[in-house]
Amino acid sequence: MRRIMIDYEKCDGCKNCSIACMQAHREDEGTIYDLNLTDPRNESRNQILRVKDGTYRPLFCRHCKEPECVMTCMSGALRKDPETGLVTYDETRCAACFMCVMHCPYGTIKPSHSLQKVIKCDFCAEDGYEPNCVKSCPKKAIHVEEVEA
Amino acid sequence: MRHVIIGSSAAGISAAREIRRLREDAEIIMISRDGHVHSRCMLHKYISHERDVKGLDFTEDNFFETQRVEYIQNEVISVQEKEKCVVLRTGEEIPYDRLLIASGAQSFIPPVGDLRTAPNVCGMRDLSDAQTIDRMAESADNILVIGAGLVGMDAAYGLLQRGKRVTVLEMSHRILPVQLDAHSAEVYQREFESRGAIFYLGRRLEKTICGVGGQICRVVLDTGENIDCDMIIVAAGVRPAIDFLDNSGVEAGRGVLVDAGLQTNVKDIYAAGDVIGHSAIWPNAVKQGIVAARNMCGMSEKYTDTFNEKNMMNFFGIVTLYLGQICTRRDEVVMTEEDRNVYRRISIRDGKVTGILLQGDISNAGVWQYLIKNQIDISNIKENVFQISYADFFSVKADGEYRWNYQRQAAE
Ligand SMILES: Cc1cc2nc3c(=O)[nH]c(=O)nc-3n(C[C@H](O)[C@H](O)[C@H](O)COP(=O)(O)OP(=O)(O)OC[C@H]3O[C@@H](n4cnc5c(N)ncnc54)[C@H](O)[C@@H]3O)c2cc1C
Ligand code: SF4
Ligand code: SF4
Repeated sequence: MRRIMIDYEKCDGCKNCSIACMQAHREDEGTIYDLNLTDPRNESRNQILRVKDGTYRPLFCRHCKEPECVMTCMSGALRKDPETGLVTYDETRCAACFMCVMHCPYGTIKPSHSLQKVIKCDFCAEDGYEPNCVKSCPKKAIHVEEVEA
Repeated sequence: MRHVIIGSSAAGISAAREIRRLREDAEIIMISRDGHVHSRCMLHKYISHERDVKGLDFTEDNFFETQRVEYIQNEVISVQEKEKCVVLRTGEEIPYDRLLIASGAQSFIPPVGDLRTAPNVCGMRDLSDAQTIDRMAESADNILVIGAGLVGMDAAYGLLQRGKRVTVLEMSHRILPVQLDAHSAEVYQREFESRGAIFYLGRRLEKTICGVGGQICRVVLDTGENIDCDMIIVAAGVRPAIDFLDNSGVEAGRGVLVDAGLQTNVKDIYAAGDVIGHSAIWPNAVKQGIVAARNMCGMSEKYTDTFNEKNMMNFFGIVTLYLGQICTRRDEVVMTEEDRNVYRRISIRDGKVTGILLQGDISNAGVWQYLIKNQIDISNIKENVFQISYADFFSVKADGEYRWNYQRQAAE
């Protein structure tokens, strides 16, 4: 499967990837210049967090081999796609029970602002599975690679 | 090799999927009472008319065809260990090479008054229960729910959404006594009350009084109070569904007894899910189903994720998560934080989290489950413990998956 690989040492915390994610998933039309960064509906699916020593840790959904979120989903909304290896989410099935949020050990799936669904990385399926975060990283701290899974 | 699975819920379905993944050529037969595969966790949405039968199905479309699982809708009445077959209600015998018991649990109706015999009393466990409740509720206005645990509150939610008058009776002095602390439970109680629910807490049912057709029309409490009702939903707990194992040679206590690999005392017979009585939650049933399936296919894996003190609920847009136990013993540090988005409360002993409760914004909650489950020391990571995240334990494997790095923390 293809996975977003992370070289955290290269990350300088610019958050271009987070903005790119927000732009890629916004509901309204527009360019990155009119993206409302404070609208909670435009939340990023990835997070860049700063740790004690002042360096950064990029937190991205791993589309895990044995995904906790999928194993705990009681509606069938979350699945591990046997072909692509991606963990997909079907909003129309989701019961907003948030069992998945309680189980992802990395905190990369969370309730939407509306509390009607969850938001997690979809590998930018609508953009031909070429994640916008990766395209936007100026430091090449994240890249897509084919891995065994 | 023929694998027979009893039950078509969390444990049974996940086991079938895993057996198929591992064994292209295995024969898989699933026997279940259920007319339709359904997620019990969504029954309240059926009662509230938010979902129909199809909306409760948690399997992918055409699951049985694509996974090549034969489905037999029937009831297993016994297991014959020597002949290696199960016997159905219709008399048919189904031979197996490997058997998985994933029959789950069923409602426990306490033997008080006429609860067990009256026609207007129902548990809430299966789709058939929800359909009965739905039908009875057509002509019932006053509905009594016995038990204010998660299932009782689910029932109350569904019926309030239907505009019914709902009264909830609970032995404990507060609602959701096992699932929440007093503060967060009260938030739900107020919300349910504002929508018309009436609570009788700290009281017991003592007597039932029947009217026409043997229907219970009134109950009497230990305090002498009376509650009138047209129908009763009993949500007073569940018991593993093991009646059909009498005389089978499969040992059971409160639930079916299994070893670490989920095999019973009888070779080639495994058990997973609520029926083993270790937990009563969906994720654990799914994971047990997967482990049992692997062992049925000749692997040797142990079931290790035994942590089950995890509660999550979302009623009327109020979201609460409670992991572990918040204790207030002398050696425990308890911290609380509150703003308009979230109420957080955590207890820590010797640097390790013993319990956490989040009401409102629950993002990042899975990290806490991991920290509690694995008893990881969180001393000296962040000034404000609530800001701890996976970033503080970050480490990447060669294949790009994350792993937990906490040895470093401990050494520091
Ligand atoms: C109303 C409600 C709400 C819930 N909400 C949550 C929640 O929010 N989160 C959570 O984690 N858990 C929740 N649970 C618990 C969760 O549903 C169970 O833990 C889970 O369903 C257990 O799965 P299982 O496969 O072990 O057994 P069950 O789901 O009990 O399924 C047992 C299966 O075996 C079949 N069966 C039983 N006996 C026989 C027989 N003799 N012959 C043939 N077939 C038989 C049944 O028809 C069924 O298909 C809820 C439960 C209920 C009732
Ligand atoms: S949301 Fe979490 S558990 Fe699910 S695939 Fe992504 S990283 Fe894994
Ligand atoms: S919130 Fe939705 S996606 Fe998450 S476990 Fe519940 S039903 Fe599945």
